[in-house]
Amino acid sequence: MAALNYVGSRRGKILFAGSVYAALIGLTCAFLFPLLWIVGLSLKTRLQVFAKPPLFVWWPTMENYAAVFERADFPAAFLNSLLVSTGAVTLSLAVGVPAAYAFARFAFFGRGFLFFGLLAMRMLPPIAVLVPMYVLFSKIGLTTTRLSVILAYSTFSLPLVVWIMRGFFEDLPKELEESAWVDGASRYQAFFYVVLPLIRPGLVAASILCLQLAWNDFLFSAVLTNNATRTLPVLMAAFSGGDTGVDWGGMTASGVLVILPVIIFSFLAQRHLVAGLSSGAVKG
Amino acid sequence: MAVTAAPTAPPRASPRGLWLDRQFIRIAVLPTTLLMTFIFGLPLIFSGYLSFQGWEPQLGLFDGKYVGLQNYEDLLSDPDFIGSIRLTLTYTFITVASELALGLGIALLLNIDLPYIAIFRTFLVVPMMITPVVAAFCWKLLLDPDHGVINWMIGEHIVWLGRPDTALFAVALVNIWQNAPYVSILLLAGLRSLPHEPVEAALIDGASTWQMFWHITLPLLRPYILVALLLRTIFEFRAFDNIYVLTSGGPANATMTLSQFTYQASFVRFDMSLGSAASWTMLAMSMVLCLFFMSTVRRRDAN
Repeated sequence: MAALNYVGSRRGKILFAGSVYAALIGLTCAFLFPLLWIVGLSLKTRLQVFAKPPLFVWWPTMENYAAVFERADFPAAFLNSLLVSTGAVTLSLAVGVPAAYAFARFAFFGRGFLFFGLLAMRMLPPIAVLVPMYVLFSKIGLTTTRLSVILAYSTFSLPLVVWIMRGFFEDLPKELEESAWVDGASRYQAFFYVVLPLIRPGLVAASILCLQLAWNDFLFSAVLTNNATRTLPVLMAAFSGGDTGVDWGGMTASGVLVILPVIIFSFLAQRHLVAGLSSGAVKG
Repeated sequence: MAVTAAPTAPPRASPRGLWLDRQFIRIAVLPTTLLMTFIFGLPLIFSGYLSFQGWEPQLGLFDGKYVGLQNYEDLLSDPDFIGSIRLTLTYTFITVASELALGLGIALLLNIDLPYIAIFRTFLVVPMMITPVVAAFCWKLLLDPDHGVINWMIGEHIVWLGRPDTALFAVALVNIWQNAPYVSILLLAGLRSLPHEPVEAALIDGASTWQMFWHITLPLLRPYILVALLLRTIFEFRAFDNIYVLTSGGPANATMTLSQFTYQASFVRFDMSLGSAASWTMLAMSMVLCLFFMSTVRRRDAN
């Protein structure tokens, strides 16, 4: 690790450390202010939201959150988001993990083609896939179903699963399966009983990252759902469509409830964030 | 007296089992291949086909009329489309350049060896985790002309998202806010993986902090910067959610990027053929971008 540090006198060192902390505190405040302000708005009454000058100190109220839970559409959209995201993650893991294993261990016919396809899936603009997908899905009656959204989400979660899991499989010593093969296990047995249990941390990391992407998606579900199957981001966009209206408390409270699960999940997976973010670009 | 049983021989595979075992790789990659074909490959081919058709939503899939290059000619003679190409390139350049500069700055600060630095890292990455739609509408409230806190702070009444000259700036700002932390994490990981020896050698030779940064850290970090540049360019080029919620491409097309244009053509006007032609223009542009960056990375690696 090439950590930079100041070279010089003690006095200079203290000055340097002080300015580094000052810069970091300033940046953190600037980056977090918008978020904290929104959380603040969600804890204000309607009068307090529009107070001038804005209130910086007030007695927080939970009435906005209570109102969100009383709405019929929010819990429904929450359930849809949950179903669709977990569905997409499950599908991508079931389909992608064996392929990742094959990528990490074997040379096979069509390897380069498959690799290129997954790279393209990850990199190309989703709107370009969505236009024909909508036409095809609508002709077979799949639009407005949750299944269509799950299938659409696999365009980004499948490549992510394959890339992350491939890295984990590559880090696993090959001798483990080889000794299982020598003992008479079939390749299937070696994969299911020897390799998969050892790869559990990778499965967790891949699912969390996919879950985050699926939970945050707007474009696919905006086009492929109706009012009954829409996910949280679609509902949020409907709240804020056109004019921002007057129910700022309700909007911000629901916004906070949408991002809370993602933030918790991301903190759990922080170690793996970099691997997921740069997938496909670092390991080319 | 019981005799210890001989170790059981490994279960001998039947001929059928052996055949199945040899198919392992094929069976492992088959689901991925199928899913990729049906969700990605076929739709893209179909959209290529649609882009040469005059297709209407009430027609059967293959009942459109062949119109040759008409859709592409319509696009290229549409000043809105040409404008959106120019706008997308401007927008991508502004956001990526700012994200890289800001991200590199943050990464360098976080890499300094001082106590409690890790706490700042934890907090600074929060914006990148937020659902883009929620981030966008939060900023919509912050930028609200009458009740937004930003106008109150600067003491002016600016309709940020309603004026063609400020809308693009505001939209870019929201994206920079969300994605600069992403660049900083990527570059911080790069900084952490750099070898110490060059830095130590420079220290012994009496190099200043600035000299070390300019002549050692930055050149060593270049591959990571290129990766960040590639990823951010691709993702800003296709950015959709934030812009849709903030402005939907308005006012007066001031934020009508290619993604917005394609969305409007396909899902507002339901002209799927024109939308497909716009999609393929976008696909071609992003492929050129990808290939350009890949060849740059390769060339750097070769040297």
